[in-house]
Amino acid sequence: MSVELSPMILAIFLPLFGAIAAFIAPRAAWSIGLATLAATTGAVIWLARDVWAKGAVMLPLGGWGAPLGIDLRADGLSVAMLALTSAVGFLVSIAALDSLKDAARQRQYFWPLWLLLLTGMNGVYLSTDLFNLYVMIEVIALAAVGLTVLNGTRDALRAGLEYMYASILGALLFLMGVGFVYLHLGRLDFAGLAGAEVSGSLIAAMALMFVGLALKIALFPLHFWLPAAHANATAPASALLSGLVVKAALYIVLRLAQYMPFPSETLLTLVGLMGAGAVIWGGIQALRAERLKLLVAWSTVAQIGLIFVAFARAGEMGLTESWKAAALLILAHGVAKAAMFLAAGRIKDEIGHDVIRDLDRAPIRPTLAQFTFALAAISLIGLPPSLGFIGKWSLMEGAMAAGYWHWVAVTMAGTLLSVAYFSRVLTAFLRFDRVRAPVGEHQGWALADAAPLTLALAAIGLGLMAAPLLSFIEIGYPFGVAQ
Amino acid sequence: MTDPLVIFDVALALAIVALAVAALSVRDLFAMIVLFVVFGLLSALAWVRLSAPDVALAEAAIGAGVTGALLLKTLHHLRYVSGTLGQQAAYGVTPLTPVPIGVTLANAIFCGLITLGLAVAYLGAPAAGPGFDALVAEAMPRSGVDHPVTGVLLNFRAYDTLMEVVVLLAAVVAVWQIERGVSDAPAPVLGEVWQGFARLALPATVVVGTYLLWVGAEAPGGAFQGGAVLAAVGLLLLLTRAYVPQPTHRGIARGAFVLGTGVFALVALLVASGGRVAFEYPLEHAKTLILLIEGMVTISIAVTLAALFHGREPVAQTKGGRDDT
Repeated sequence: MSVELSPMILAIFLPLFGAIAAFIAPRAAWSIGLATLAATTGAVIWLARDVWAKGAVMLPLGGWGAPLGIDLRADGLSVAMLALTSAVGFLVSIAALDSLKDAARQRQYFWPLWLLLLTGMNGVYLSTDLFNLYVMIEVIALAAVGLTVLNGTRDALRAGLEYMYASILGALLFLMGVGFVYLHLGRLDFAGLAGAEVSGSLIAAMALMFVGLALKIALFPLHFWLPAAHANATAPASALLSGLVVKAALYIVLRLAQYMPFPSETLLTLVGLMGAGAVIWGGIQALRAERLKLLVAWSTVAQIGLIFVAFARAGEMGLTESWKAAALLILAHGVAKAAMFLAAGRIKDEIGHDVIRDLDRAPIRPTLAQFTFALAAISLIGLPPSLGFIGKWSLMEGAMAAGYWHWVAVTMAGTLLSVAYFSRVLTAFLRFDRVRAPVGEHQGWALADAAPLTLALAAIGLGLMAAPLLSFIEIGYPFGVAQ
Repeated sequence: MTDPLVIFDVALALAIVALAVAALSVRDLFAMIVLFVVFGLLSALAWVRLSAPDVALAEAAIGAGVTGALLLKTLHHLRYVSGTLGQQAAYGVTPLTPVPIGVTLANAIFCGLITLGLAVAYLGAPAAGPGFDALVAEAMPRSGVDHPVTGVLLNFRAYDTLMEVVVLLAAVVAVWQIERGVSDAPAPVLGEVWQGFARLALPATVVVGTYLLWVGAEAPGGAFQGGAVLAAVGLLLLLTRAYVPQPTHRGIARGAFVLGTGVFALVALLVASGGRVAFEYPLEHAKTLILLIEGMVTISIAVTLAALFHGREPVAQTKGGRDDT
């Protein structure tokens, strides 16, 4: 009797078993963690080949089939998110080996929490069931809060507590929405949503779900918890939180928009306006931030806003294309922001602080980390040929085609703001005449820079592969078409 | 003719709302916790009236029982670190800086919008939706158990339940990793009545918890409810200091935390052979496997909840004596 494995099952169960093993054997946690990440990446590649060859694949867990049971389903978008998660996760894990090497306790607990987080995120990307999504975001929430407070500082604990309140409130709102949807439709699977009749009360239920998710995504004006949480966490945790965790809830919004009877144009414009508010407010706060990590965290708020602008860019009619712009921006931000947070952490480690005003006064110049930061900034600002550029370009193209010039204006304003706030950091890197280091210019290179640099290069280079990437994420994704 | 139970229901609903308001507005933290526990018990009663005895059991055991104990423990700790442990005065927490009016206003608007959304969603919702009832009834003979709720939780939607157990695991890992600089508050002095109570209550609790687990296959009950009741045994042991967590016990505790998740996930994976997929238990073994999973999950839930009550990874005792762990 041989056990039959499916790559979808592996993508969820490998990290789960890895987390268990890493928790039981704390001394070997790091090697278990890396091995698990490698194996999970392998499973995702296997799944990608399946999806490439056969289109979307399904697996009815327990053999029951939806709506009674729960189905797992993978299409192009799921696989893209899984690939983002395992690739970024793998590189962040390598970076974590170095940045946690002096903190025995953090090193011990980082791995089980991170692997549980991975379980939850992979579960979200393969889920086709509303209640299952709720359970998965709860797994993500607790593991993410654990990672936020990993370094045990007072600020991190305070921010982590706030994050937990926001996260649990968001999950509860989502759950209440799910409850009402179940009352209406009598089922929880996505397919049941597709044929639903739109009524005021069903829209109210979906609005509750959306507000819950918006709290978890930190969409303006529900972003209050994010800057402190992401800025005070330890660097690899920040990279995971900003690069990957918020993407899980973003993905749910994108996915549900595919199946849900769509709300009116007004609601979509409202979503776009919240995004626009985030772009402007996040940009202004990033300009005012005194610390490097806080600046990077505020830029996450702004970039998330941009993703929602992309979603609303061409109104209801353009939604069949708009989600692709949003998906590209999600992928671009995931890679670039992880690189940027790791680089910021490296700079802080080398210089000993991350006060932006004093960055150019340090005798040490962690050049490679600074280079990484600049590359990531290029992708986040959206200069060609980065993936961020492709995302922004398709956003503006769609908005222009639909004649929605206000979204173009918002995107432009956001881009200018991001140039402005990243320049604050980049100029501090360039002006090296203040203090001369006694021992040459090239201090602060380390093997630890390899992982963030790889991520930053990927953020730039993936832009060149945008066309195959786009055709891949379209596999099995019939927007607005009932399954 | 009015059903007398309608009057009871209305009174129950009003009492629950009134308790919620009272719990939110009272300043004394101890009174707040007591009100919250009563609120939980009445909510459990409401679940009974809604014909959801499984939820009622869980609400009473976890919502009122374990949560109440956690809150009381936290209050005890707060009083210890603020130096008001021996005082009889009410202990309330006032924020250091007054909340700005803008924040209050923003919160009020947010809550208002949410309430509006809930109201619209509720008023337009069908009184009795289609639901899973028919599907569950049809599939029950193939589930291996007789109680529909257990069938849904441990078979049809076992994947969700596995992940719920993972949530609990994530919670205890997160709690253990927080290194708290301050030492624990000394345990409260327990009177003679208490010792007698513990002697009577401990064996009874074990029996009730195990019964809840066992009966789950055909009647309301199951792993979560049984685990919560068994966790009470752990709480009593910790409170009476009959058991003091030691650093050397960490390995066993870790094993107990992951036992439920590990066995559940392994069973789910290993049944996937001969054309079956994951979570598809062969019918002839379904009841045995479900009982095995539930038993292991119950142990994990009980140990995890007790560990959450203890609230930290066991550390080496300081020299200060027994009361200063």
